[in-house]
Amino acid sequence: MNNIFKFSLYIFLTLAFAWLAFVVGAKNQYGDLSQTSESLEENGSIIKGEDLYPQSMPGIAQLGAKEYLSLGCVTCHTQQVRSEESGFDVERGWGKRPSVPRDYILQDEVLLGHNRVGPDLANVGLREYSSEWLHRHLFMPQSVVEGSICQPSPFLYKISKSPTESSIKTETIDKSEIYIIPSLRANRIVSYLQSLHQNYQLPEIAFSDGEEEDETILSEVDTSTSISETNSSSLPTWLSQQITSGKEIYSKVSSGGGMCVACHLPNGKGQPGAIPPLADSDWVLGDKERLIKISIHGLQGEIAVNGEKYVGVMQGFGQPLASPLDDQQIADVLTYIRNEWGNSVSAISPEEVKAVRDSEKDRELTSMWTNAELQKDDSSD
Amino acid sequence: MKKSAEQQIDQSARLAVSFFVASAGLWLLAAALLAYIAAAKLTDPLFLSAYEFFTYGKIKISQANAFVYGWGGNSIFAVSLWILSRLSQSPVRGTIFLLFAGTVWNLAITFGIAGILDGHMHGHELLEMPKEVWPALFVSYLIIAFLILVVFRTRKQTITIAPQWFIVAAIIWFPCLFLFAWNGLEINPGRGTLPAILSMWFGQNIIWLWLTPVALGCAYYIIPSVLNRTIDKYYLAIFGFWCIAALAPWSVVHHLEGGPVPMWVPAIGTVMSIAMVFPIAVASTNFHSTAFKDISKVWNYLPLRFVIFGTLSYTISSYIGIIFSIPAVAKLTQFSIINEFHFNQRVYGFFSMIIFGVVYHILPQLTGREIGSAAKNFHFWTSALGVFGLLLAYLIGGLTHGVLAQQPSLAWVTVIESVKPYFLITEFAFVILGFSQLVFVLNVWKVLFPNPFTYLNTRPEKKFAR
Repeated sequence: MNNIFKFSLYIFLTLAFAWLAFVVGAKNQYGDLSQTSESLEENGSIIKGEDLYPQSMPGIAQLGAKEYLSLGCVTCHTQQVRSEESGFDVERGWGKRPSVPRDYILQDEVLLGHNRVGPDLANVGLREYSSEWLHRHLFMPQSVVEGSICQPSPFLYKISKSPTESSIKTETIDKSEIYIIPSLRANRIVSYLQSLHQNYQLPEIAFSDGEEEDETILSEVDTSTSISETNSSSLPTWLSQQITSGKEIYSKVSSGGGMCVACHLPNGKGQPGAIPPLADSDWVLGDKERLIKISIHGLQGEIAVNGEKYVGVMQGFGQPLASPLDDQQIADVLTYIRNEWGNSVSAISPEEVKAVRDSEKDRELTSMWTNAELQKDDSSD
Repeated sequence: MKKSAEQQIDQSARLAVSFFVASAGLWLLAAALLAYIAAAKLTDPLFLSAYEFFTYGKIKISQANAFVYGWGGNSIFAVSLWILSRLSQSPVRGTIFLLFAGTVWNLAITFGIAGILDGHMHGHELLEMPKEVWPALFVSYLIIAFLILVVFRTRKQTITIAPQWFIVAAIIWFPCLFLFAWNGLEINPGRGTLPAILSMWFGQNIIWLWLTPVALGCAYYIIPSVLNRTIDKYYLAIFGFWCIAALAPWSVVHHLEGGPVPMWVPAIGTVMSIAMVFPIAVASTNFHSTAFKDISKVWNYLPLRFVIFGTLSYTISSYIGIIFSIPAVAKLTQFSIINEFHFNQRVYGFFSMIIFGVVYHILPQLTGREIGSAAKNFHFWTSALGVFGLLLAYLIGGLTHGVLAQQPSLAWVTVIESVKPYFLITEFAFVILGFSQLVFVLNVWKVLFPNPFTYLNTRPEKKFAR
């Protein structure tokens, strides 16, 4: 105790032992959990299914998780259903089964929380709240749940006295009717809440009460099941490879991915007025060169897709980001979006991407295209 | 006139300790204000709801950070410097570096809390401040910790005693904890619920291995030195110290009971929490059997009254905490507002009360000026009342919350409706505590800067010529 160096060493070791167990030990035990298609059935047998679970959230929901975190929702809401020995959570209806570590492996922000002043949200996506209801609740919880002490978030909405497009009718605290227009952030949070569910069985855990799976809800969540996968057997191998790799780039939001899904969504429908659709879009199905140019350099300003106006900014993926996409990757992701959601047109090859990249090599990588420029280029051809 | 060695040591510590006490006071007020806003928002959700800066979650988390790092950090620096320099009979060196690092520490917390309010919160317990401020916090902490350890290292006598173990250990634990957490959450993050275990471990250990040992060290210092008698059954103290060191880092994860983590994690936590009976019993025996031998002196000397309030609160509520870590009880109360009881008893009922006592004990010796006893008494009684009301409301409210929450037939909003009266009591308690802490800060600032205007105009040589 009298030698400070020895003393510090002992002090450090007391911590280090606990750290070895809770961090190193736990990581060795379950740090490499992955998605699985197996599930434990009522009779105790393990069955191999078609789809992999847990599934990753749509990009917009992943952005919603960040909004949820930054507003501090985790202070009052847990996202964990406790095991039956240690809690009454399943009986209370917080979930169909206790949560297990595998449920969280694809979440960037794991927000378990440890206070339940508000309800548990691990399965809020299963509770059949419409997005209008969730928006009304976010705007003014007391208008839909009388006596709630949840904090209103009016700063996420534009308020108007009369109905407009995409507005939602709701009530203020003094029961007067108003219309609210959700901001992009509000939409992200609602998508996040709707994507929260543990509605699948895993090899380590089955549903507690043995009820039938709620097929309607599952099918809603599973809109991302792709045509390309079901059709892949009839496609030539090189094409299905390009499509599979393109889908991965499209959906991946961390480094090495294209993050496309964050804005264009898993269903390729985008957002009215801001993010143009990719499904059945004249831009995606049309001129390949224009598509490649946008992918490399990005696009800003107003454009018209299928006759509708969109104003927004898309960053180019040839840009010197943390991990820019190379010719092959751009070709893959463009081929994917041209053959998904009912789209079915010719593939784009890496050579075509390279040709466009070479012809535009004098253009600065950070200089985004505008609609006017793209049209001028068209007419000069 | 030649100064005694003790006066010289006090003088070497004066500027740095004054700086840390003064800034700790300001953080205490900031935390009190935030605590009031958070409590008021629970009783009236529409209060300040139009401003995004003031969502309940942000305010609540800012309050915890302002309290732990602002008030807790600064007061730890102040009492550690003073107690170690007294016990080591060694002067404080490098005051200019202490002041510089202290300023950086305070600025970094200010930016960090502004970052939380601005929506850049992180999801890890007591690491919520944006990660940009952490390097500044960490480096400034290292500078301060180094200079505190220099005081300890240059001590006149080889043998060490209990207050030194507790304080030196706390000073060393914080950076170790931080590096473990930073490695596991930022540099080398695990997937899924791995970071959740680490974040729980870090957040609870900050309370158990940083705030708690410093407060225990203060009690081990102040009780024998004021009563002028040795600690009763002092030979147990070393056992108590190593018990806390060995058990606390394991016990804190019992809060994950039943959660999506391997079962052995909360199981170890529960066993170790129950084993914490030993160090708590040791500290309690040491403090209380010494203090109760001369209870009239404890009662009459106000700093000691604060400290004994703190140690009693530590004993009682730690035992309550152990009861609530038993799985059968945790089943009911794990996610209820009992958690607020645990946090508040530790930071208000225990840590703050002891720090108040120590500050009142050292300020007259440091500055040569006395604090009015009426003001001190007012502070004591309002603190005691506020803490008592707050803890009782959270305890009974938490039980109500936990029991009702398990009834599947009750709508969630009905459960919350029945807890609302307790939220109202906590709001009142935070108002009382706010006033009481304002009085404390006024008391302290009046002694440190008796007349701010002449103080600023006096030339530096004159200031210390006394």
